[in-house]
Amino acid sequence: MGELGNNGLQDPAYMAQRIAACEREIQKGIIGQQEIIRQVMLAMLTGGNVLLEGMPGLGKTRLVSIIGKVFDLSFKRIQFTPDLMPSDVTGTNIIIKNERGSAFSFVRGPIFANLILADEINRATPKTQSALLEAMQEHTVTVGNDSHALTEPFFVLATQNPIENEGTYPLPEAQLDRFMFKILVRFPSKEELKEIVTLTEGSQEPDITKQMDSEGLLAARALVNQIPIAEAVMDYLLDIVMQTHVANPYIKEGASPRAAQALIRASRAKAFLEGRFNVSFQDVKETAFPVLRHRILLSFDAISEGMTEDNIIQKILEGNGKR
Amino acid sequence: MSQRAFVKIIQSCCLRLNAAVFLKKTVFFLSIGTGVGILLQAIAFIIPFYYVKFCTVVVLIFALLTAMIRTFLKRKNMEQTALAIDRFGFEERIVTAYENLEKEGKLVELQRADAIKQLQTQHDKIRIAILPPWKHLAGLTGLFAVLIILALMPSAMKERAQELHNIKEEARNKTEEVQEVLETLEKFSQEQDLTVAQQAVLQEMAESLQASQEEFQQASNMEMIKAASQKLEYKYESAANELAALAQSLQNGATVSSVTVESMQALSEKLQGMRGTELAQGNAGQSGNTKETGQGSTSNNQNEDGQNGQSGNQNGTGQNGAGQSGQSGDGVNGSNGQGDQGDGSGIGRGTGTSSTPHDYVSIPNEIAESENLTGNAVDHDASEYFHAQNGLSWKGTHMSHEAVIGSYTQNAYEGIAAGKYPNGMEEIIKEYFSNFN
Repeated sequence: MGELGNNGLQDPAYMAQRIAACEREIQKGIIGQQEIIRQVMLAMLTGGNVLLEGMPGLGKTRLVSIIGKVFDLSFKRIQFTPDLMPSDVTGTNIIIKNERGSAFSFVRGPIFANLILADEINRATPKTQSALLEAMQEHTVTVGNDSHALTEPFFVLATQNPIENEGTYPLPEAQLDRFMFKILVRFPSKEELKEIVTLTEGSQEPDITKQMDSEGLLAARALVNQIPIAEAVMDYLLDIVMQTHVANPYIKEGASPRAAQALIRASRAKAFLEGRFNVSFQDVKETAFPVLRHRILLSFDAISEGMTEDNIIQKILEGNGKR
Repeated sequence: MSQRAFVKIIQSCCLRLNAAVFLKKTVFFLSIGTGVGILLQAIAFIIPFYYVKFCTVVVLIFALLTAMIRTFLKRKNMEQTALAIDRFGFEERIVTAYENLEKEGKLVELQRADAIKQLQTQHDKIRIAILPPWKHLAGLTGLFAVLIILALMPSAMKERAQELHNIKEEARNKTEEVQEVLETLEKFSQEQDLTVAQQAVLQEMAESLQASQEEFQQASNMEMIKAASQKLEYKYESAANELAALAQSLQNGATVSSVTVESMQALSEKLQGMRGTELAQGNAGQSGNTKETGQGSTSNNQNEDGQNGQSGNQNGTGQNGAGQSGQSGDGVNGSNGQGDQGDGSGIGRGTGTSSTPHDYVSIPNEIAESENLTGNAVDHDASEYFHAQNGLSWKGTHMSHEAVIGSYTQNAYEGIAAGKYPNGMEEIIKEYFSNFN
């Protein structure tokens, strides 16, 4: 973004083009998974954190690494294990001896980066998982009596394996709610797999170049927040969230107000990404799935009938009239 | 495209949308209204329903009004119109721009410009159909056709409904007419200077007319109306005579105000006039019979009886003289003015002692030529008559001519012996009855 002046950062149309260029650049390094890329981009544009759920080896780490390159952001990967301690994430105070004597000095943990890949987050103990809570919500880390601000933009991309449950600590609802999106990473199709294999096993790696820097990303976020929403669209959006609280045999607990906030931000970001400066019903519909699926607690009836969160969200969207 | 042009496009779309909503709702509610109308028309084929056409029209008007009210309540405003325009692929650009029309800010202005540009370039995408779907229109047209056919199709039940309506109308008119007379009589009876006997005359008159009112109210066919009208006609005549006599006596006595007397005379004339109207209104056949008969004996008797009645009242022995019963000829219904169920004997009425008003006299219709009458009516032989419901004849028992004459003669002579009749009249009565022998 060095070539961009301040005028460029303030120009919504130009910024929309740059963001679209970033998306295209990421797609160069990730075969298929366009929806995943789109949703991760939305989260980045709104400052939200993402929980990726999928089988290992679907390119989650690669995705984060490429995003780091495209946006020129610092990237750290934390492999969550049962013996991982909170201080391993946040950093700790250590005693440093020098000519003046001994003193405590804070050593930053891996969380002090723009992009954090919390790999297999559900393998760490709740204590360590909760170390991420403050960082994700407040963008600060408190060690001892001192709070340390994280570098902006700060973005957590956590992963979890949906199959292996043994030895895992499922994320509590409060922590899940702090993730803006829960993205399901599906297995690629045969054609996509072929392209992936060709790309990764070939001698030539795609040339991923920086398209925007952190300053540009923050400016884009500021623009996204200004996108107007028509009253009808806002009503529709709120109705969707409220519908998760209406008596429903499949819902044990509905979405929190944070879901409404996330839905608004995500819808705005989607409109911006598509070069529009207004939110449409379609924006709301499409972002409702990743925003709500981890915020709805299924009832026993739903689980016993094999209903998924996405089925319920689909029903809510269908029941909310033709928009 | 300017901001103004942008708003203008939304306005024109708003008009079209509201017109479309109105037509849609009109077709919908008119379809319901027409369906209800068809149902009403079908009902009119099963039961008498005179007001079916009126009700159908009311239902249709109501449907139209409902459509208008619903359109008004559901009318689209500019925001809703903008939202409707967005459905043509504008992705909520138009509604967002319209809502933020007055707002300032780089992004808002950019959004507005984008919306205006989209509307300008893709204006032809907006297609607001004003007319409802042709299937709905065809359905409504079909329903209308059925309704009109049903409405125009004649049926016995519709004729019956018409007849019943005429009966009701007639009964209502008569009841009102009688009510008017009753109210006037009520005023007369409140006159304090009237004697008890005079008040009794008025009271009897009123009761008699009230009986007629009830008769009209209970009438269920035209025959009953006709019969009741004929009775009423007679009552009017009788009442007119009595009122005239009463007015005359009051005038002579000079105890009552001249206004009351004049009112009585006026009412008497009015009742005479009303009787004339009755005669003119299709009952002429019946009245004609009466008159014809009167040429021989009945008419004279009526006059005489009127006189006798007055005399009787004055004497305090009852208002009805024997002559009235005598008018009934063979006594078909000579007994009781309150109804037409008399025993026809005339006995008791002829004595002049009854306090019950003897309010009409009936004779068979066209005595000599009636198809319903067998035997020889003019040769003093017993005749057989059956109820035809088409003349001045009501149910009653039949008596032989001799028995009737004998009974009436006996009553007349008893009356003479009791001094019921004015001086000089005894010989006339005797001569009259002797002619029958």
